[in-house]
Amino acid sequence: MAVALTMAAMKVAALCHALRGERAQSAGLGAVLGIVLAGGTIYLAVRDLDLLAAAYAVWLLGWLLGPVFMGGGDETLRPEYFTLLGLPPRRLAVGLLAAAFVGLPPLVSLTALLGLVVAGARLGPVAALVAVPAMLLQLAVFVLLSKVAVGLVGLALRSRLGAISTGVLNGAILAGLGQIWVVFLALGQTGVPPLVRYLPSGWGLLAVRGSWWALGALAGLIALLLLAWAALLRLRVGASRASGRARRPFLARTADGAIVAKELRTSSRDLVRNYQFTFAFAYGVCFAASPLLVGWNGMLPYAGPVFIVMAGAMAANVYGTDGTALWLTLMTPAASDVRGRQLAWLATHAPVAVLLTVVCTAVTGGPWPLILALLPALLGGAAGLVPLISVYGLVPGTDPHKRANNPLRTSEDEGSLTGQAYLALALIVATALPAGFVAIRFGWAGVVVGIVTGALCWWGFGRLASARLRERGPELLSTMRTGRKAGGTVQSRFTELSKPRKAVAWWCFGFAAIPLIPQGILAAVFVSRDMLHHTWFLATYMPPGLRYPVALGFVVLGLAMYALGTWIVLPSRQPGTVE
Amino acid sequence: MTPALEINGLTKRFGEKLAVDAIHLRVPQGSFYGLVGQNGAGKTTTLSMAVGLLRPDEGTARIFGADVWSAPDEAKALVGVLPDGLAMPERLTGREVLTFLGLLRGMPRDEVLRRADELLDVLELSGAGGTLVIEYSTGMRKKIGLATALLHAPRLLVLDEPFEAVDPVSAATIKTILRGFVRGGGSIVLSSHVMALVEQLCDHVAVVDAGRVAAAGPLDEVRGSRSLEDTFVALVGGEDGGVKELSWLSR
Ligand SMILES: Nc1ncnc2c1ncn2[C@@H]1O[C@H](COP(=O)(O)OP(=O)(O)OP(=O)(O)O)[C@@H](O)[C@H]1O
Ligand SMILES: [Mg+2]
Repeated sequence: MAVALTMAAMKVAALCHALRGERAQSAGLGAVLGIVLAGGTIYLAVRDLDLLAAAYAVWLLGWLLGPVFMGGGDETLRPEYFTLLGLPPRRLAVGLLAAAFVGLPPLVSLTALLGLVVAGARLGPVAALVAVPAMLLQLAVFVLLSKVAVGLVGLALRSRLGAISTGVLNGAILAGLGQIWVVFLALGQTGVPPLVRYLPSGWGLLAVRGSWWALGALAGLIALLLLAWAALLRLRVGASRASGRARRPFLARTADGAIVAKELRTSSRDLVRNYQFTFAFAYGVCFAASPLLVGWNGMLPYAGPVFIVMAGAMAANVYGTDGTALWLTLMTPAASDVRGRQLAWLATHAPVAVLLTVVCTAVTGGPWPLILALLPALLGGAAGLVPLISVYGLVPGTDPHKRANNPLRTSEDEGSLTGQAYLALALIVATALPAGFVAIRFGWAGVVVGIVTGALCWWGFGRLASARLRERGPELLSTMRTGRKAGGTVQSRFTELSKPRKAVAWWCFGFAAIPLIPQGILAAVFVSRDMLHHTWFLATYMPPGLRYPVALGFVVLGLAMYALGTWIVLPSRQPGTVE
Repeated sequence: MTPALEINGLTKRFGEKLAVDAIHLRVPQGSFYGLVGQNGAGKTTTLSMAVGLLRPDEGTARIFGADVWSAPDEAKALVGVLPDGLAMPERLTGREVLTFLGLLRGMPRDEVLRRADELLDVLELSGAGGTLVIEYSTGMRKKIGLATALLHAPRLLVLDEPFEAVDPVSAATIKTILRGFVRGGGSIVLSSHVMALVEQLCDHVAVVDAGRVAAAGPLDEVRGSRSLEDTFVALVGGEDGGVKELSWLSR
């Protein structure tokens, strides 16, 4: 108990330090946002208990996914800090768990779980009484499941198979969230599936509704999760294993070839890159294929383009992830590191992207001109922007051999990394806009535009990146060495952003695609082809005079969301730095 | 004769702290130059600026007359560098790292492979054929770093603490290699804390203290009749010789 109390006290102290000054304000805003969501959840307790169960499932999903995508979640207190104390793993787990209950998210979730008490009060005094332990147990399940998920992902990333399957899983889940309308549409057709009631997130509610065994089940699950977490902590503190097999010989003969060969080897050997690749692939496929669930295949051809955009966004910190190895690039100024990296990026991604695109478009039988215009535009755009973003908006990474035991954490500065990925996402999409518009308007001419803009981006952005690397290389190296920005380097505002503003940016980038692409651009295409009353495209249901304006309105909304998100994460010059 | 390395008034400030304060150094061709100083004296900072890995606030560095900042291609082709504590292409094996760097420097492939094999052999790294650099031990990392510095047969070597964490057998090998390099007309600058080693290897020495050169020149001139260690302590230690004791530690 003493250990648990001490750790909770440490967490409180750490949070108090963190909450001084500006961050107190943002934490307050986050609390307000959370309380609003929690209030909505409690409201459902008055309205419809099945919907309440669904809402708790969403809260659970948030607890599971949030930390995985935010780079390992809350690491205020890390297990590594306590290794030298020689605590038994279970006591360590209990202590860390106690600390995990300190903080805003558990508090907000607890508020949301007050819905159980409200539901209980409606069902009778006994149910209300049961609701109190149910609420606490349910919260423990949320927190523990989140910890175990992060631990499992960390563990999986130590083997190639694990990295790949984690990538597939995360990609699929995130794509599912991006296409959440499909889920709603499907649910609208079928109602809340009864399964949701029986998920662990619904057990508290089940207990309140009279199935008291659920309380025991919650307690049992907690015990199991605690054991699992303790085991994971023990594994995490151990080192990952070494490999010792023979390697293929280097076949390259030129400097450029050597850079490509090095990059290709790194991509295939670095489990984080394996993960990123499969994540992007799964995201593209699932994002494009999920509307098939509601019988619409119009999205399918975009699997390849979405994959390219995602893969580019994930690679946007290439130089940062290599850390101080940059010194070798600085010592060999004659070789063109940027071009080599671009070629390697294309070599690993283009074949898959082309194949995926051709297959998926063949399945739906078109629209060939648009897809074939987007493909080269995006490939070139991403290959150009990836090195450019990574030298202009470098997020200093932790050197690979110094990384802690959480392989997802390639940098200490996860916030900036996320911001950089979103920036890359938006910019890569932007490079394909000209080709897309021409293709929609004039058909095959778009393909020419796509090839031209793709080649231009590849060449031009690559040149800019090379120049920047040559001019500011030592500053980039200093940044990487100390983990801090040297004077004059661009600083992503994402670092200083408060959590709620980060959340707004997240939502903007996460969901802007919905108004922009399906409800805006696609709807306009359908209207122009007189395909009316088309599934869920709002504009196709409008009276004639309103169809284009509605579609246009959605396009503007989507663009505005991207603009807002970009504005929030936009790099800004640090005041008072010298060039 | 142009010096192998000429440092003129290099200055570096980190925030308030003046890490390197207008250092002047002249490393003649064919010399084996030792840079000694306390922890935090500014050795790493000076050497990084000298080879173009850190931008100085003021001052210049020339390698065989080529300015590191205005003629980097020329200057950097002539120098081999072993920096302290920087990463490598971590997911490559030792042989792959050397092949990669050789090609990067524009050397023909066959020559690169031949030299890589020889370097790995001499430095006793060839046993770790399939091991990625990320899995290397601290001493192995030093050795592969040294191999990358030697690979393109530069005219000047700048080595930051090359013997740190290296076992005695490998250290003896490295000493032999370095001596041979100087005998063949090459020039070396190395930093170290081990006075005996500097006395054993170097013919020139500079004592750096708090970002300034406290003494520099041929070894015998700097140390006079004393040992280098005594000279060093006299130059940089406090009035009481700089040696303090922890009273509570001895029983
Ligand atoms: N990136 C940096 N930011 C801030 N201060 C720095 C940075 N790099 C070095 N310093 C400071 O500059 C001074 C000189 O450091 P340097 O690394 O050059 O010392 P050194 O002589 O190599 O020491 P050692 O013998 O321990 O390697 C130290 O006081 C150090 O704290
Ligand atoms: Mg040093």
